[in-house]
Amino acid sequence: MNVDQLAQVLRQDEAFMANVTRWETVPAREAQYGEDPEQLDPRLKPVLAGRGIHRLYTHQAHAIREVLAGHDVVVVTPTASGKTLCYNLPVLSAILQNPDARALYLFPTKALSADQVSELYELIEAMGVDIKTYTYDGDTPVAARRAVRQAGHIVVTNPDMLHSGILPHHTKWVKLFENLRYIIIDEIHTYRGVFGSNLANVLRRLMRLCEFYGSRPQFILCSATIANPKELAESLTGRPVTVVDDNGAPMGERHLVFYNPPVVNRQLGIRKGVIPETRMIAEMLLKNKIQTITFARSRVTVEVLTRYLKDAVRDPMGNAGRVRGYRGGYLPTQRREIERGLRAGQIDAVVSTNALELGIDIGALDACVLCGYPGTIASAWQQAGRAGRRRAASMVFFVASSAAIDQFIVTHPDYFLSASPEHALLNPDNIYVLLSHFKCAAFELPFEDGEGFGNAPSPDSLLDFLTQNHILRHVDGRYHWMAEDFPASEISLRSAASENFLIIDITDAAHHRVIGEMDRYTVPMLLHENAIYMHEGQQYQVEKLDFDACKAFIRQVDVGYYTDADLNVSLSPLEIEEEQQMGGMTASFGEVKVLSLVTMFKKIRFDTQETLGFGKVRLPETEMHTQAMWWTLPEALCVSLPSDRLKNGMLGVANLLRIVAPLYLMCSPADIAVLYQVKSPITDQPTVILYDNCPGGVGLSQKAFGMQEMLLEKCLEIVTDCPCPQGCPSCAGPVGEIGVDGKATAALILRRLLQCLRESGG
Amino acid sequence: MLNAISQAPPRKEEPERRFTDCWHAELVRPLSEMPGAFDLPVDAVSLMETEPLPENLNPARILYLDTETTGLSGGAGTLAFEVGLGRLMEDGFRITQLMIRDYPEEQFLLRRVLEAAGDCDALCTFNGRSFDLPLLRDRCLMNRLSPAPLEKPHIDLLHIARRVFRLRLKQCNLGRLEEAVLGFGRGDDLPGAQVPERFFSYLKTGEFALLEDVLRHNQQDIASLCILLNHMARMYQAPQLLDHDQDLYAMGHGLERHNHPEEARRCWELVHPGSLHAQSQLRLAQSLRRSGQAGEAAAIWQRMAEGREGGIVPWVELAKYYEHTLRDIPEALACARRALILLAEPGLPADASVQSEKNALQYRCARLRRKLKGRGTTSRPPEGPENEAGGTAWD
Repeated sequence: MNVDQLAQVLRQDEAFMANVTRWETVPAREAQYGEDPEQLDPRLKPVLAGRGIHRLYTHQAHAIREVLAGHDVVVVTPTASGKTLCYNLPVLSAILQNPDARALYLFPTKALSADQVSELYELIEAMGVDIKTYTYDGDTPVAARRAVRQAGHIVVTNPDMLHSGILPHHTKWVKLFENLRYIIIDEIHTYRGVFGSNLANVLRRLMRLCEFYGSRPQFILCSATIANPKELAESLTGRPVTVVDDNGAPMGERHLVFYNPPVVNRQLGIRKGVIPETRMIAEMLLKNKIQTITFARSRVTVEVLTRYLKDAVRDPMGNAGRVRGYRGGYLPTQRREIERGLRAGQIDAVVSTNALELGIDIGALDACVLCGYPGTIASAWQQAGRAGRRRAASMVFFVASSAAIDQFIVTHPDYFLSASPEHALLNPDNIYVLLSHFKCAAFELPFEDGEGFGNAPSPDSLLDFLTQNHILRHVDGRYHWMAEDFPASEISLRSAASENFLIIDITDAAHHRVIGEMDRYTVPMLLHENAIYMHEGQQYQVEKLDFDACKAFIRQVDVGYYTDADLNVSLSPLEIEEEQQMGGMTASFGEVKVLSLVTMFKKIRFDTQETLGFGKVRLPETEMHTQAMWWTLPEALCVSLPSDRLKNGMLGVANLLRIVAPLYLMCSPADIAVLYQVKSPITDQPTVILYDNCPGGVGLSQKAFGMQEMLLEKCLEIVTDCPCPQGCPSCAGPVGEIGVDGKATAALILRRLLQCLRESGG
Repeated sequence: MLNAISQAPPRKEEPERRFTDCWHAELVRPLSEMPGAFDLPVDAVSLMETEPLPENLNPARILYLDTETTGLSGGAGTLAFEVGLGRLMEDGFRITQLMIRDYPEEQFLLRRVLEAAGDCDALCTFNGRSFDLPLLRDRCLMNRLSPAPLEKPHIDLLHIARRVFRLRLKQCNLGRLEEAVLGFGRGDDLPGAQVPERFFSYLKTGEFALLEDVLRHNQQDIASLCILLNHMARMYQAPQLLDHDQDLYAMGHGLERHNHPEEARRCWELVHPGSLHAQSQLRLAQSLRRSGQAGEAAAIWQRMAEGREGGIVPWVELAKYYEHTLRDIPEALACARRALILLAEPGLPADASVQSEKNALQYRCARLRRKLKGRGTTSRPPEGPENEAGGTAWD
């Protein structure tokens, strides 16, 4: 069956439709074309025609016109709408007309840059001109680097390499800096939080050097659909940016199916698991040879689903190459092979984490299954966008888990369909981030009196601070670097990516091989000793984790269970920056130290998901400094409640905040964390804490501190409006977790806090 | 940290300082410290340098240059705070030291360096090709000065010394070379790693005494450059002055790579009987063969084969010589067989390389036998040399 036929059959299947809360059909869209921009070099047109492109879509033509008019532009269109032409054409045109012109391409990952270079090569080759495009990253051989620096017309790199490999050595890149015409930044929606704050500062440094070398490059940015592309583009570049979002690419009919697994225990409100239901739908698509991508939220889920789907198609020889897993941690060569397989149609089903959410070219697929809500609306659309042919129909299934946010979405599909996607927030002026890059900038070129750093606030106080600490020397109107250090080596742009662990398969004693890698923060969860680690559906047991050498040694096994580690988080204050006393409760904002520790893991049986046993984990704690805000409950309230009730109520409040805060802070649920402590080391009192889940913080808890009343009100609204008697996963939490009185106590605590706030006029 | 930054007291108004030049000093070392420096054998210098040098280079037109920097990790924030320049004068070896007392003096220091470089015919440094010169070029760029005067023929003694001494000395830094090659040591020299810190301390305290060790260290570096260049040139001119077979062997190797085969052979001929003798003889013979003196080469192989030196290689080479040059197939076969017999001797490890040599020789023997037979029946006149299937050495 093809997609149309399957859609028809499913709609008549009553058992299936009983679980469908909404079936939305988006009609097909015709292509819309724009006027060809006239100033483009005439040599480009025949090349495009040779590739079947005779006219430009509206957004392409619009973007190119804006660029040629000298504006900085951000192009906002969905996946596979041909956005790369929006920047490749002006760049190639500029170089054709002036062979000295240079362009810099930035992609968030190496994989994406490899992809882009091959596409550019094809265009350049078809024209038969001498335009040199080079990738410059950690994999570029030392011998080739000189040629890239001297002769590369288009240098393709990533923010990390720009930060530590290019900017500090700018004197080696004179040709590039003197002639830089365009800076292309693709996938800018990935630059939020710490990564985005870092990139904004890297760009401040870049623009400062361009000014020194006398060039004034233009920005061409591309973004997936987010709420605030203009704001994001402007805070990244520090310049006014024109938005181009009149997508003219055609799209076939799309079916969006919201699927809520059936309830199996009405009293406890327990539904069938999201994994078996996803498996059922994905297997159905696989049996109909409909090319499908399934997105899962965790690496473990990806591996479990991959295994199930492989089992469904295994041939008598045991091969199941038509089904592949895909996630961070696979080696690059393996990932490239999977991407090729998808494009060539040799792979029918791929199960992936959000690693395939970015614009890696895997072609368009027929169907997409979301195993649980990915956390943000932007992300959900981005993943759904992987299915969608230009001419044929496609299907997206959203399978809800029992998590509160999933249940909210699946029961309120209108909210999802009409809500604007999240804002991408970043804070280039986060003091940790800013100061680090300020040092790099001073190393690269002395600051002069009165010189700014992009639009960073009060550069003078930073200069004075660094001068006092003998890192800079102020003399004759300039600030000179006076340290031996190489400051760029002190910061990693992606906080977690600094140290990767190697995963080594020792099944064959004579031939150990590296099968993947993993970042330091994830290792304690997935690679502790005795963990069952899954890679492409194959199970391995971790024999030894060498934390100092950053290596995990694993051996193939075949057991009927997988493991899931428990993460314990504790928190202590470093510095309180703001504090409000309000009628017995205290609200505070400041810097905290968060310690995470994995102490034990569960063994969970495949298929039935029952817990088979526990194991201990002995690993060092990981430490993070970040920003937090917290409420200390009024003492009168606390003494009036038995300690059990108090604890359950606080857990309920924390659960509610986890639902509400991301919606109003406009961030991904993973960007913040909420904790409660019955006797907090910060306050010695019962305390509810919300913190930025990244080193240094990006200002989310500060924002929460400024909108306490709204947050508490919304929490109270959800808990009082929810029709469940004693709590459910969609409000304060299931009874099994928060007890029979948890819901009522949570509401009581919220009311008291609001009362305190209002009485003090806060 | 937030507080620390916001509470940083604003900078004090510094007294207006005017910067008009960098610190500079000159001293003259007696010519007796560098005997024969004026008679530098310039021809020998071109043997050791790959870069073309001006004809009739006048030793007094060489500028010796060495920098002291604020860091070793490179990058745009590193600068040369001191530059030592050396020049041979009628009355002695003149060392000019330029140093910045604060950052604004850098442009004056660079201008003086450019001026000195503009007035010379060649630069001589130790690792300047990849360190001092690129750094100075970068600094000119940052100060918007043209680095063109620095583009001079460049004698980099690190590469030259490493080429000759790396077999014998594991490390080839200047201090080690002074000790092991020039025969003098430095007493309480300042370790190079401490140089940047001295400069920063000086900036903080203004105590010039902190820099005296740096200046002394740099003076010695400059003087050693001149002595080392002279020494190396003399060794190249008269390799028999080299005491160590390792140095001779390595020098020959370097000369050959840079296309001076005759001079290379002279070095290898000088290697004494010992561990490097066989290798040197083989290189010598190979070089002779390449330059068309096959007979002389064969004489060496013959002598080695008879003296049981060099393992099977002389026999294999002789086999090729008889086959391709003299077209004496029976003799070629006899030589190949001798090599096979040597390989069969007990005591040789039966590892993969021996096995592959054995295979290659057996193949060669078979081919030679075929040739012998073929000629017997058809009595064709010998043709030009065949392509050797395994032909490794006949290159």
